[in-house]
Amino acid sequence: MTNELRNPAQKLWQDQPVEGITMSAEVIRKRAAKFERKIRWRNVREYVAALVAAVPLGYFLVTARDVFARVTFGLLIAGLAWMVVQLHRKGSVRSMPAGVSTLTGLQFYRTELERQREAVNTVWSWYLAPLIPGLLVYTVWSAIRSPRPAAWLGLALLDAVIVGMFYVVWKMNLRAARCLERMIDELRAAENPR
Amino acid sequence: MSTVRATVTVDSTPDELYHDAVRVYGDALGRLARAYEADTDLRRDLLQEIHIALWRSFSTFDGRCSLRTWIYRVAHNVAASHVLRQRRSRSQAMVGLEELENLPDGNNSQQTADRSHALDRLVSMIQRLKPLDRHVILSYLEGHEAAAISEITGLSPGYVAVKIHRIKSLLACQFQQGEIR
Repeated sequence: MTNELRNPAQKLWQDQPVEGITMSAEVIRKRAAKFERKIRWRNVREYVAALVAAVPLGYFLVTARDVFARVTFGLLIAGLAWMVVQLHRKGSVRSMPAGVSTLTGLQFYRTELERQREAVNTVWSWYLAPLIPGLLVYTVWSAIRSPRPAAWLGLALLDAVIVGMFYVVWKMNLRAARCLERMIDELRAAENPR
Repeated sequence: MSTVRATVTVDSTPDELYHDAVRVYGDALGRLARAYEADTDLRRDLLQEIHIALWRSFSTFDGRCSLRTWIYRVAHNVAASHVLRQRRSRSQAMVGLEELENLPDGNNSQQTADRSHALDRLVSMIQRLKPLDRHVILSYLEGHEAAAISEITGLSPGYVAVKIHRIKSLLACQFQQGEIR
């Protein structure tokens, strides 16, 4: 486009001072490898953080005296591990997602939003449900161990709080899913206008 | 828009394609990064990420679309991914072009007359947009014609025409003739 044809905003935009970068093939290879390492370390850090969170449960698992307690803590650790793996696979936005060069902007953006919607829509199956077996066994175990009305009441209150928290997480994710759905619908409409 | 022409062919190596891309579109990529990231350090990271993605992508470049379309697709997609990644840590909600038209512009003619301030205002306006609208307005500002914008974004030509119409009226309203010198 020639200067005469540019409108003031285009001229302003195109004439701005730019901080560009120039890299030789060798430098960009090194940077790409460094970038890969950065992503790998980020993943390692996330898994280590999850491992640290699981340490107290692991301690209880090892030191527990009866089978019920071991099953409880074992199930909770397995549930947490499953949750972390799924959170990592579904929840985060990928650093160098597939299709970055083959998809149009519209397809790419829609695919990323659909992936996020899928994650929040199925939050029950990968984020909440994995913890339920461990919590159920814990409830039964606690009820058997302390067969007193006061203990059962305390247990019921604890379960009610947990159910309440699950409900809030589920509703928040449903709301996020609806918001993403609206954005996806807008993109579909832009792709196939009536 | 850059007047430098790309000289590579489909048979060029990824390194040759990358160097040609940077030679011709390097400045445009810098501007694109500015439109997607306000923070200087994060912007540098984003620009580097775009360069790496481009360099990698050229190993699969088959010439089915133009080099320009390919470069802008990769750059915008990486930048959109960056925006989605940063979205949760940003307080300001992203809006569409239609909503932006209705927001108070805080226009101050005396200040706007200052070229640098006008550019800052333009950049901050773009940074508030949803990725796809940002994609369209940036392509327009880079001087791409509607057909090219449609090819890069995947939006229908009619939809792009409507968006460009909105962009023009928005820019005319926010940056009146004579205010930008």
